[in-house]
Amino acid sequence: MNTDPGVVRDLFAGHYFLFAFLTSLGTIQIAVSNAGTRGLWLTPNATLTRWLGIALIITAIAIFLAQPLWVDGPWAADSVEADSLTRDWGKASWDELAGARNVNDIHGGLDGVKQTGWFSLAAVTAFAVSAIAGTLSIRILNPVQPKSGDDQDPDMADGLAGLANRSYLSTQPESWRNFHAEFGEFWRKGIREAESWSLIKSIWGRSPK
Amino acid sequence: MTSTDANIVIWLNALSGNVAAFDNLMRIVASDYLMPLAFSLGMLGLWFSGKNPAQRIRYQLTTLMGISALSIANIVVWIFNITVERPRPFVEYGDQLTLLFYPPTDPSFPANPVAVGFAAATAAWTINRKFGLWLYAAAALFGFSRLYAGVFYPTDIVGGAVVGIAIYVFTTYLRRFLEPIITSFVRFIRGLSAA
Repeated sequence: MNTDPGVVRDLFAGHYFLFAFLTSLGTIQIAVSNAGTRGLWLTPNATLTRWLGIALIITAIAIFLAQPLWVDGPWAADSVEADSLTRDWGKASWDELAGARNVNDIHGGLDGVKQTGWFSLAAVTAFAVSAIAGTLSIRILNPVQPKSGDDQDPDMADGLAGLANRSYLSTQPESWRNFHAEFGEFWRKGIREAESWSLIKSIWGRSPK
Repeated sequence: MTSTDANIVIWLNALSGNVAAFDNLMRIVASDYLMPLAFSLGMLGLWFSGKNPAQRIRYQLTTLMGISALSIANIVVWIFNITVERPRPFVEYGDQLTLLFYPPTDPSFPANPVAVGFAAATAAWTINRKFGLWLYAAAALFGFSRLYAGVFYPTDIVGGAVVGIAIYVFTTYLRRFLEPIITSFVRFIRGLSAA
């Protein structure tokens, strides 16, 4: 059977995106539960969030690898040795499952650049979902008060540090305001402290203030 | 007549077919999609792992170096590929190998996936020895699975590892060459509450 690589890629890209999204979400949850970044937790509890992250990763791998059992695609008989153009279109058997997902990029799989693009999109989506869920979790399920002094310390007030005790929606205006207020001085300080052989310093560092 | 390099591939690949479960495990590990995603997730996890501002900026700069090293490693491997143009083992010894992988069409030396894995592992190792060692182990397993599957020579794997580590070291110098753009980029992401 002649399988159009474009058709295969459309199907495969969707499966890969789901795989990358769920594993990214799981990874973020494990990382932020360890770091104490409550504004990105999917649940109000650190231990529960960590285990949810692990479960998301395991589920994602299981779904991605097992999907050929119930979704038609170019992963039927002789999926490893044959090129994708001669594969049968159908569901994989248990015996074929281990090699079924290894689709060559020239036959409808994803090359490195496409994988990078889909992964980046999945990671950003996973962050957005974490931010939304964290906002709901903090505002509805388990509201917390900022620790005293947090608002006075710029390092503790914005960015991921700000998300330690507040939701994304509460932190974001301050993060952007601080960025606007500090960036000019941050850049000039960076130029002053850059090594003498820095390309950027050699371009901007000599200009008068 | 075969070289030592080829003899190792032929000997390792000849072990396949004895334990189906192990062959299937190697097929899954060798896949184009599982381990590369694991290395990317390692970088993503590092980005969010810092527990205080100083640690956070160090982790995030290292993550950016790691991601840059992955990209540069791909380019360097491609340059080696078109310069050396070493045929894959199954092209030269196809009658002695049982392929557990689709037949790749690009040259063999150095192993691109191993270079990428070792670049990511070196980035992780510079800030967290334990996590870095896990990623080194994953990269080494990835290389072994490709060897077992019959698509790389041992010297391709070693070459890939050397390229990956060397490119990460080069990238740390490149960062200093481009400062303060790199730290300013992290500052911008912090303005979006994501760093």
